[in-house]
Amino acid sequence: MRNRVREQRTSRGLSQAEVAAALGVSRQTVISIESGRYLPSLPLAFRIARYFDMTVDKMFDPADEEDGS
Amino acid sequence: MTTWIRPRLRKPLVLALAGTLLAASWIVRGGATWWFCIAIEIPVLVQAVTMYVRAGQDSDEGALAGSRADERQQQIGLRSRALAGRAMTAVALAGLIAAIAVHGNWWWPFLVILAAGSVGYLFGLSAYSVGAEGAATEPDTGYPAPL
Repeated sequence: MRNRVREQRTSRGLSQAEVAAALGVSRQTVISIESGRYLPSLPLAFRIARYFDMTVDKMFDPADEEDGS
Repeated sequence: MTTWIRPRLRKPLVLALAGTLLAASWIVRGGATWWFCIAIEIPVLVQAVTMYVRAGQDSDEGALAGSRADERQQQIGLRSRALAGRAMTAVALAGLIAAIAVHGNWWWPFLVILAAGSVGYLFGLSAYSVGAEGAATEPDTGYPAPL
């Protein structure tokens, strides 16, 4: 599943540590989410989307999974 | 019980306490091997201090050691404990098989470990499935379960 966390973060000039502190998670978790290695829980996904003023379906794109790739 | 102890101190303290109890058992036992308690206590204290230092680091390991893990790090800790449990069970089973095969009378500790693991697993299924989530809200319709 792709996401726009890195894109949104860099466009706002934020560091991974700043985003992590705002979301209440570790910097390592932000890195894992950005790289697609970790799928956040639903509550965390909502927190991320709200933090970047987006909806969850805009922030997380399940296209890869639907394609079966 | 541990809420008044700083998160960073919790796991190092538990480690130090467990090691001290183990070391104390050698003193209680008495005899010529009483000094084993020192040989145990020193590495345990060094390990506890090392854990405290690591608990302050900005890493997954540090977060777990410092009792401040987020959801992903908790998942890592859970998977690691599951792996440790599997390894322990495999070794206990191998020990039990070996003890039985060579007519050893030291088979029962392995059986106790296996029994504790089995009971713990069943208790976990009960506590975290129906116990934590409640009973089904609709009756079973007999619809086949997905493969």
